[in-house]
Amino acid sequence: MTMTNRVIEEFKAEFKSVDITEAPYEKQGYHLSIEARTGNLLNIIDFLDKREFYIIDLFCVDYQDYLELVYFFNTHRELCRIKVTLKLDPVKPVAPTISNTYTIARWYEREVHEFFGVYFEGHPNLTYLFLHEEIGHYPLRKQHVPVPDGDKKLLNSFRPHEEENSFFINLGPQHPSTHGVLRVVLKMDGEYLISAEPVLGYLHRMHEKMAENKSYMQFLPNPARMDYPGALLFNLAYVEAVEKLCGIEVPERAKYIRTITCELNRIASHLLWLGAFPADLGALTPFMYAFDDRENILDILEDVTGSRLTYCYFRFGGLYNDINEETFIDATKRFIERMRERLVMYDKLITGNVIFINRVKNIGILEQGQAKKYGFSGPVIRSTGIPFDMRKVDPYAAYGSIDFEIPTGHIGDNMDRYMVRMKEIEISLNIIEEGIKRLPSGPFKTEKVPKKLKPPKGDIYNAVESTRGETGVYIVSDESDTPYRMRWRVPSYSNLMTFPHLSRGVLIADAIATLGSYDIVVPEIDR
Amino acid sequence: MCDTIINIVNIVGKEVVRTVIGLVGVFIVVLGNAIMLTWTERKVAGHIQRRIGPKEVGPFGLLQSFADSVKLLGKELLTPANVEKPLYFLAPTLIFVPVLVTFVVIPFDGFLQVKDINTGILVILAFSSLTVLSILIGGWGSDNKYSLIGAVRSVAQNIAYEIPLLLALLPVILMANSFSLRDIAEAQRGAWFVVYQPIAFLIFFVASVAETNRTPFDLPEAESELVAGFHTEYSGMRFSLFFLAEYTNMFIVSAIAVTFFLGGYQGPILPGVVWFFIKTYLLVFVLLWFRWTFPRVRFDQLLNFSWKILIPVSFLNLLVTGGILKL
Repeated sequence: MTMTNRVIEEFKAEFKSVDITEAPYEKQGYHLSIEARTGNLLNIIDFLDKREFYIIDLFCVDYQDYLELVYFFNTHRELCRIKVTLKLDPVKPVAPTISNTYTIARWYEREVHEFFGVYFEGHPNLTYLFLHEEIGHYPLRKQHVPVPDGDKKLLNSFRPHEEENSFFINLGPQHPSTHGVLRVVLKMDGEYLISAEPVLGYLHRMHEKMAENKSYMQFLPNPARMDYPGALLFNLAYVEAVEKLCGIEVPERAKYIRTITCELNRIASHLLWLGAFPADLGALTPFMYAFDDRENILDILEDVTGSRLTYCYFRFGGLYNDINEETFIDATKRFIERMRERLVMYDKLITGNVIFINRVKNIGILEQGQAKKYGFSGPVIRSTGIPFDMRKVDPYAAYGSIDFEIPTGHIGDNMDRYMVRMKEIEISLNIIEEGIKRLPSGPFKTEKVPKKLKPPKGDIYNAVESTRGETGVYIVSDESDTPYRMRWRVPSYSNLMTFPHLSRGVLIADAIATLGSYDIVVPEIDR
Repeated sequence: MCDTIINIVNIVGKEVVRTVIGLVGVFIVVLGNAIMLTWTERKVAGHIQRRIGPKEVGPFGLLQSFADSVKLLGKELLTPANVEKPLYFLAPTLIFVPVLVTFVVIPFDGFLQVKDINTGILVILAFSSLTVLSILIGGWGSDNKYSLIGAVRSVAQNIAYEIPLLLALLPVILMANSFSLRDIAEAQRGAWFVVYQPIAFLIFFVASVAETNRTPFDLPEAESELVAGFHTEYSGMRFSLFFLAEYTNMFIVSAIAVTFFLGGYQGPILPGVVWFFIKTYLLVFVLLWFRWTFPRVRFDQLLNFSWKILIPVSFLNLLVTGGILKL
């Protein structure tokens, strides 16, 4: 009996009056959909919480007649994606908060509040997260809805009041260790942190709104701008979502090339992190070493995709162009050989260093129990010992036919996160090697894809394992050539939000090591 | 011409002339050293990181430091709004005084020394403690929380590491039976003190890395935590004075280590002064090597290392040395 059937049975026994319908997974990317009402939402959330469901995402869609809050859930053990929807009155939308059960919802709900004007009853701090207070309307609503005067709440100019025995310090938005323009307001007592609050929005570009004004093809380059070090993986998430939505078949060769290039990109991204993490700890040399290796990948990918950083290589139904069998494969094989040697060197240079070990071991410990509340993913969750990887859980591209292991940590400290990423580089090399061995010949794209895509009415959630974790895109189509609503579930978001929890009462140096170990990419969080 | 010079010398006294010439020499060494080290640091960093380092300005980029100083001189001296003005201005100047004074007693060669004071090492230790005062003043006067944290760290760190520093030098002083640096250097005609005192040498070297605020003990200016630590708010020439002081301090601790443990200016064939500089710059190179290899330690680890390991061990070392010498 599969997880899905079990959930249906238990759900029907507990909630007699609520509809639970099975959705075609291949077409929509989720197994079950539940229509909740304001009255029973919290009971349903409780039901899911008890069955160890973690929250993937929480967002809103404006259908003009009503607003629909969408909650996505899944489990870490088995793939069983559940969409819970809650219809709200567009004039005065009020919903109960679920942030008491799922901590990460605290931030998701603030986001929904500022973009749609939905109020959450019982939310501890319903202020703006990304936007500036000057903004006079709710940007993602389909019609112009002005913000009531009393409701202009702001965090971007967050000015905390000083108390005795503590002081506030702004870590960022321009600080060497925040990797971009993240701002964290730290409340400190001497060198110790009392609390930390991430303040977002300094890189907010509103990609989700942009998507509503562009055709499916025109939006192709955008995902790469969200996660610049892992551009291909975001590209893949989007392309696959649209393919599933339109029912476009992808040739085998394209799938393999996607897998190979994505893994190359993953290594490049991990190498970027491998340079930045020791730099956060004060060692500046690994940065240059890692960039030296990364350069090789950029050269290989430049050969194939035409760009070095923000790739836009995948197309609906295939690829932009085929790889050059000789040069690409030769260069990749050379790189694999070189990288394996370099990994041994990195082990000697960084992993074995006493100062490094003392700085990262037993620091920033994330327990497995937190995974459900925050929904963090990627190396961060694998470091806690949960072998959760979208490539294995829900194989896409050619991952289903390639065998690989998932590295896991033991206690979820900074050292584990470091080790997991290092092992992932190794495993990615194996995947690439295997992929090249099995690379089939044939066409690299489907011929039948129309120039102007008009997907049938419906919605789709598609997730891939990007370098930082589960990256999902949710698209609602209304049969026009532009998406009706597009929502990005980004992994850095939920990874970062564990920072306030982890940084309570630790030294500032440790907090920065922890922040570095997440491998956050701010443009991805801000979107 | 010669007569006039001799007349002047006779009028003002030999000692004064010697001191003036010495101080001029010290200035040349200090500035030359800083210019050399800026270039060396960048070159060493470059080669350690598989880059070439500076190469555009002059042969091998040797004139890079001059280009840098011209740039720094041309920069606007920015004074942030709420700084404590007297303290803010005083700090960069004050950091240079102890640095210059300590040079007076260092023996570059048998007779190449500005002044041989018979309590030479005490002068050095006393004045080098002043460095931390100017860091504290700079950090406090900057009206910046990052600067203040950096300054406070610096004070705690210097207090913790001056003790093992002194305790590591005492066995050598016992063995040489003198506080004068020249006597100590002379006492190593037979064998260098590092042979008899390897532990003291290691302790001294580790403590001196901490004293000069270099990686892995560069907590007062920890870039990834405190932006730039105590000198966050300093720009232009004011910043470069801190910078110069850091490089000069590196030279001084290495020079002391050479004088106390590595035979000072002693060495075969080549003149003493050449040996002195070779040994000193070898130690400076090790400091640079540290910086581009190690991550930074955490603050509590830093203090624990000093109070729980370095100080007890150096006390033990002192006791054993004293006991053996008494026998």
